[in-house]
Amino acid sequence: MGWRLALRPYLLIVPALLLTCGILYPFGLGLYYTLFDFSASKPQPDMVGFENYETVFTQEAFWNSAWVTVLYAVGAAAVETVLGVAVALLLHRSTPAGRVLEKILILPLMIAPVIAAIIWKLMLQPSVGVINYLLRPFGLGGVQWTDTPTGALLSSIAVDVWVYTPFVAILALAGLRSLPTSPFEAAAVDGAGWWYTFRRLTLPMLWPYVLVAVIFRFMDSLKVFDIIYALTEGGPGDSTVVLQIRAYLEAIRFQRYSFGISYTIVLWAVVYLAAMVLVKHLGKIQRKAAEVAAK
Amino acid sequence: MTSAIAVRGVHKRFGKVNALDGLDLEVREGEFFCLLGPSGAGKTTTLKTVAGLELPDSGTVELGGADMRGVEPYDRGVAMCFESYALYPHKSAYDNLASPLRSPRHRLPAAQARERIGEIAELLGISALLDRPVGRLSNGQRQRVALGRVLVRPARAFLLDEPLSHLDAKLRQQMRAELKAIGAVRHTTTLYVTHDSVEALALGDRIGVLRDGRIVQTGTREEIWYRPYDTEVARAFGRPRINLLPGAVTAEGGFRSADGKVELPIPAGAAPGTEVLIGVRPRDLSLGEGPGHQLTGTVYVTEVLGRSVEVTVRLGEQHVSLVAPRGDAAGLRPDDPVRLWVRPENLLLFEADRPQRPGRRIGQ
Amino acid sequence: MTWRKRLSGWLADAALILYFVFALFPIAWMVILSLKPANQLFSTYFSFSPTLDGYRTVLGDSEGIPFVRFFVNSLVVSLGAVALSLLVGLPAAYASARWRFRGSENLMFTLLSFRFAPELTVIIPLFVLYQKLGLFDTYVGMVWVLQLVTLPLIVWIMRSYFADLTPELEQAALLDGYSRKQAFFKVAIPLVKPGIAAVSLLAFIFAWNNFVFPLILTSNEAQTVTVGALSFLGGDRPKYNLTAAAALVSVVPPLLLALTIQRYLVRGLSFGAVKS
Repeated sequence: MGWRLALRPYLLIVPALLLTCGILYPFGLGLYYTLFDFSASKPQPDMVGFENYETVFTQEAFWNSAWVTVLYAVGAAAVETVLGVAVALLLHRSTPAGRVLEKILILPLMIAPVIAAIIWKLMLQPSVGVINYLLRPFGLGGVQWTDTPTGALLSSIAVDVWVYTPFVAILALAGLRSLPTSPFEAAAVDGAGWWYTFRRLTLPMLWPYVLVAVIFRFMDSLKVFDIIYALTEGGPGDSTVVLQIRAYLEAIRFQRYSFGISYTIVLWAVVYLAAMVLVKHLGKIQRKAAEVAAK
Repeated sequence: MTSAIAVRGVHKRFGKVNALDGLDLEVREGEFFCLLGPSGAGKTTTLKTVAGLELPDSGTVELGGADMRGVEPYDRGVAMCFESYALYPHKSAYDNLASPLRSPRHRLPAAQARERIGEIAELLGISALLDRPVGRLSNGQRQRVALGRVLVRPARAFLLDEPLSHLDAKLRQQMRAELKAIGAVRHTTTLYVTHDSVEALALGDRIGVLRDGRIVQTGTREEIWYRPYDTEVARAFGRPRINLLPGAVTAEGGFRSADGKVELPIPAGAAPGTEVLIGVRPRDLSLGEGPGHQLTGTVYVTEVLGRSVEVTVRLGEQHVSLVAPRGDAAGLRPDDPVRLWVRPENLLLFEADRPQRPGRRIGQ
Repeated sequence: MTWRKRLSGWLADAALILYFVFALFPIAWMVILSLKPANQLFSTYFSFSPTLDGYRTVLGDSEGIPFVRFFVNSLVVSLGAVALSLLVGLPAAYASARWRFRGSENLMFTLLSFRFAPELTVIIPLFVLYQKLGLFDTYVGMVWVLQLVTLPLIVWIMRSYFADLTPELEQAALLDGYSRKQAFFKVAIPLVKPGIAAVSLLAFIFAWNNFVFPLILTSNEAQTVTVGALSFLGGDRPKYNLTAAAALVSVVPPLLLALTIQRYLVRGLSFGAVKS
């Protein structure tokens, strides 16, 4: 009887464990494939050891992709954080306009990123898109949005920002609403100005919430795929080929399976490392916020 | 006679915390047993272990003489009132009370259940609240619903975890008086947990004093009152608290306080030179002259407690408090000299407190 | 002082409205585009004669793109994925909230790492594997791979809901005479029901919005709207009005669902890390 009691929690997780193994299996299989030269043209692959990884790291294309990925992730996460926190602060004022707008804040976030990219692609079309039409009175009618390397990267980031700023804003707003009121009352009694209050109280206490959002956004944008696939397909040239797009091209387009997976494994390692660093940082920030709140 | 509840040598750890540390406890059939202890002493864990909600790491729990190892909570036939109430927040007060009577083990036909719930609600003064969701009840009302959920069903034992703690003072006093008169409680073994010594003295046929996961002393209220196991048990019962004067046993076999100003006979034998505490309860000290040992001191402060007065008297460097009838204490001002007397048989002798444990009582 | 305060209030409102113009204009523009007749697509911007022809074409399966079937596919695989995740994930979430033990912590962290793993790491091997197993372009294959999206979400969020529920409620039920199974279904489940509903809808939305799985693991039979909408952009002369109509049709279900679960979004989006 005692052992049956002890076993019960294990019985409850068995189905989930099995299903998880069903997902881990292809993952492990992929890891195994990277040691071979498996491709559509070579269905009976040979073991090649770490050759795939060597090729990855010596390829200029990889370093280009890594650079583009980092630019994209840092750019998108940074803009979304600043804009998201700003929107949250504005909504936190709870004006009549704000209360109405808050209800529709999530809309872009709930649109599939690929659909968002389609929408923007239509709008950014240089000759007939509505954006250039609206810019024409300002003398900017002919911007080649997605047709120049810099423009393509910035446009992709813009779509990411359009979709995911509400994500940061929603978490930051939840954070703002759960801050303790007493430090603010004390500051008001002391006659502290808006900027001082914001710097010394709001921001340090809000940081943990914002950082949760940043962690999600940064790690998600490291593995961006949908938006770039629909908006630029990596182009023009190689200017927006982020790592997952590169992996897709290698594995699916060129059917070099082993090589393509090697790319994703490297990306996975990068995401994992980023997560470790950020989560460790989160702990520190949370402690600091607790100190400020306790004062 | 077999015990209704017997806990033998139970150990229970939660991570690094030793909740129960070799707990032994016997509750007799039909008895109202109060378990008294400060928070963190292991009171709730004791109840949950008896109920089968926590499994002991070692040791046994017996109900009615049968070992409960491997017996599920629903097969133990005990009812428990949780300190957190544990009311089902998505149900009305009525449905909370009806919950046991709808369960496979205690099912009653709906009409009978309604009647039973009506009686219990009447008894606890919550008849008017039955239709309300528990979220719209005050803490005191919730506590009564939680108690009702226990009383509504047959049980071989009731386990009550601070069931009166959230009532306001007046209602608590009233419920305390009524609780033992409730038929179900009178006929059912009850293990009652509280941190309130007044409650324990008022309700318990016997009282167990729990400290750090162990029973320090078990006894009737007289035993606990007149023969406390150690200074901490003595301090736990009675307000104002017992007076404890530090001193030593003299060569003549008496007591002399540390400052040399107070001498008293000692109620039990102890080697000369032993560091001791002598205890006397405030109600056992009287003002004026009397047939006991005399002491002299000066008034420090007086405080009126309704019909009686608490007088704090300076005896040498020590303060003692006593409770005197209002007439006796009339006109006393601070620094007035006073005489006190105490019957030698009301003195309690303890070993001196040590950092690792409170001083034990010396004598029978 | 007051006029300065009022001015800064106006400025703040203006900034907010500016952001919302940025956020909402693309959606509005889609509606406009989707209502345009084909011959006014490029000749006009805001003044045109609205028509539902675009929607009729998209939903009428002309153009050789069976969009209605894609829509049904999205519905089937998303519902299937959520149902399977709930079935398997609820007991696991409950167990790991109630008892901390090695297996459950490992499971939880594996699931969390799924949330942050690049999808292609799993999909490329599956692409090979599915073709061997005959799961390529099937509902079963899609429901399986969508677990990567729905299972971590459901298990993590539901664990945080179960953890918020004091175990004493179920203990009270045990002492009332109910079995453990009854305590779970009569006490725990009803109390987390709003959470279950919200997380199911959110998981449904994420499954629905997924693009990379159907892109690689389906070709026609089990293809979903996200991939389908993109195919209107193909061809020599992209049909903007049809693309817009298809895009709008495919975002309607998630948008409607999202508006119903606003209150629960914060916990869902942050994987239980932030509660509102």
